Amino acid sequence: MAEAYLIAQELHKSFNEHKAVNGVSFTIYKSEIFGLLGPNGAGKTTTIRMLSTVLEPDRGDVTVGGHSIRHNADAVRNLIGVCPQELALYEDLSALDNMVFFGRMAGLNGKEARAQTMAHLGLMGLAERAKGKISKFSGGMKRRINLAIALMGHPELLFLDEPTVGIDPQSRNNIYESIEGLRDKGMTILYTTHYMEEANRLCDRVAIMDGGRIIAMDTPHELKSQIGPPEQVTLEDVFLKLTGRSLRD
Amino acid sequence: MSRALIVALREVRTYLQDKADLAFSLLLPIAIFALMYGAFGGESLFHGTAHVANEDHGGTYSALFLERLGELDNLDVELLSPSEADSKLDRSNLLMVVYIPKGFSDKLASGEPAQLVFKQRGNGGQEGQIVASLVRGVAEEMNQEFQVYSQVSNTLVGRDIPQESIEITTQKFLDRERENPIVRVREETVGSSPDPVNQFLPGIVTMFVLFAVTLSARAIVEERRKGTLERLLTTRLSVGQLFMGKFLASVSRGFVQTLILLVLAYMVFQLFTPLSFGASLVIALIFTAAGSAVGLVIASIARSEDGATWIAVFFTMVMVMLGGTFVEVPATISKVSINTYANNAFNTIIAQGGSLADLGLELGVLAGVAVVGLVLSRIFFRVMPGGK
Repeated sequence: MAEAYLIAQELHKSFNEHKAVNGVSFTIYKSEIFGLLGPNGAGKTTTIRMLSTVLEPDRGDVTVGGHSIRHNADAVRNLIGVCPQELALYEDLSALDNMVFFGRMAGLNGKEARAQTMAHLGLMGLAERAKGKISKFSGGMKRRINLAIALMGHPELLFLDEPTVGIDPQSRNNIYESIEGLRDKGMTILYTTHYMEEANRLCDRVAIMDGGRIIAMDTPHELKSQIGPPEQVTLEDVFLKLTGRSLRD
Repeated sequence: MSRALIVALREVRTYLQDKADLAFSLLLPIAIFALMYGAFGGESLFHGTAHVANEDHGGTYSALFLERLGELDNLDVELLSPSEADSKLDRSNLLMVVYIPKGFSDKLASGEPAQLVFKQRGNGGQEGQIVASLVRGVAEEMNQEFQVYSQVSNTLVGRDIPQESIEITTQKFLDRERENPIVRVREETVGSSPDPVNQFLPGIVTMFVLFAVTLSARAIVEERRKGTLERLLTTRLSVGQLFMGKFLASVSRGFVQTLILLVLAYMVFQLFTPLSFGASLVIALIFTAAGSAVGLVIASIARSEDGATWIAVFFTMVMVMLGGTFVEVPATISKVSINTYANNAFNTIIAQGGSLADLGLELGVLAGVAVVGLVLSRIFFRVMPGGK
């Protein structure tokens, strides 16, 4: 039996009258890539923000590596790396300066931060652009730097919130390969995406969210088999069947 | 604490890399200083022009008189024809002209009294009065010299001493006396020079330091806009360390800008002694800290960059007005402005020649504002619904 690494229990979060997350519970096992899928406004990003200690849940709790986000958020932050949906970079600094800075924030000393920066930039195919200013980078390069920063400090649990949105196929493929490499090294990953093929390729299990709740959770294969022969059904078919075809905000 | 320093260094680095921002913020104190210099002329002593219409053409004593006027350090001499001088006086282009009448030298040579004429519009204006006083001083000096000549000549009459020899010897003694007068005047400045810069510099410095409020007010909002705040909140950096880093960066920037202004005032206006300059730097540092902390309170509640800027500008204006920077405000009202305490502190040092030991209340209040501001900014800070 795999070791449970993240346990979310009955998470609730409201903004004014709007219930963004309404009783979400799930477990992520060590070295697993867990996909969180859902249409816009389903509550995925709010869930990730609670899991990563940015927002405090109204109710419920999360433990990461045995530490509660309510009672020991500092210990949780020591274990996690976050790649936010929006690019979170200092455009007027170089890739190197951005990564070393966030590395220092992750608890690395200057020497370690520089060493990890060069290693992660190499992983992302950007070693030669280390001293380039972020403002001069393409969208795909920024996405790769956004992901590389999340790896600083070698976190045990990685939150990737739509890391491939709006980039070219080459950059997307580079990110897929990087994530697969991380899985092979035993990293635990929570992954959100709108691209069903991506989830199908990368995720060991997926949860589909809608209206702030989890409406289905299983392996991609099992989810597909619920509506037909898995070889003939795509994860997108499952997604549309469960969440409907009406347009969302 | 080290993470706060890293945040501060990152801020400073960003500031240094933004050439336009850097140039603007460093040139701003120089521009303000240039305005002060232009407004106050950069001169602590009077300097004026004596307009002279000389009708005693070729006269020895009128030439001597003009030469003596020209020797005054604080007076330029501009020669005009009598008609030109009259015309300028009529049109109020000049307020005071000195006329040397025809026969001026001949009268003096023959031992008769001679007269200079001061023509002026109204009271001659402030500069005209001072110029008249200086010209009168030169005339009195020449008058005294004539008296010495005539007394020496009268005493030596009938002793077979050539007149030329009497004149040369007397002139030698008079020149020696002028170079080494028996009664000298030594100027001493108590506290500070009576320069108008003294009165305005504190107000300008305090207003300038308040720019730090605007800068730090944008600090957190910019992180929210860039999305980096969310990322920072998932690292080991605490919110307290984040605010301390922003605070240190804002204090550094504000202090460097104020330092430029004070150094220029020191070098050009020579307002300070080394001790009073050091005291002024201490005041500037503590006041910048107070301003930066207030800016962070605004930063913690502002939801947009425009909002932060407007709140900061409004706060700055209110503080400047209530602080009596440029107009007098009743003491009971001005006590609510941090500018009052900074103005008082700078005035005590610059205008009254006081020391830091005299500034317990002022520095205490400013340091208190810095500490309370930092605490409040931490208390008011909230993550917005979007995680920003």
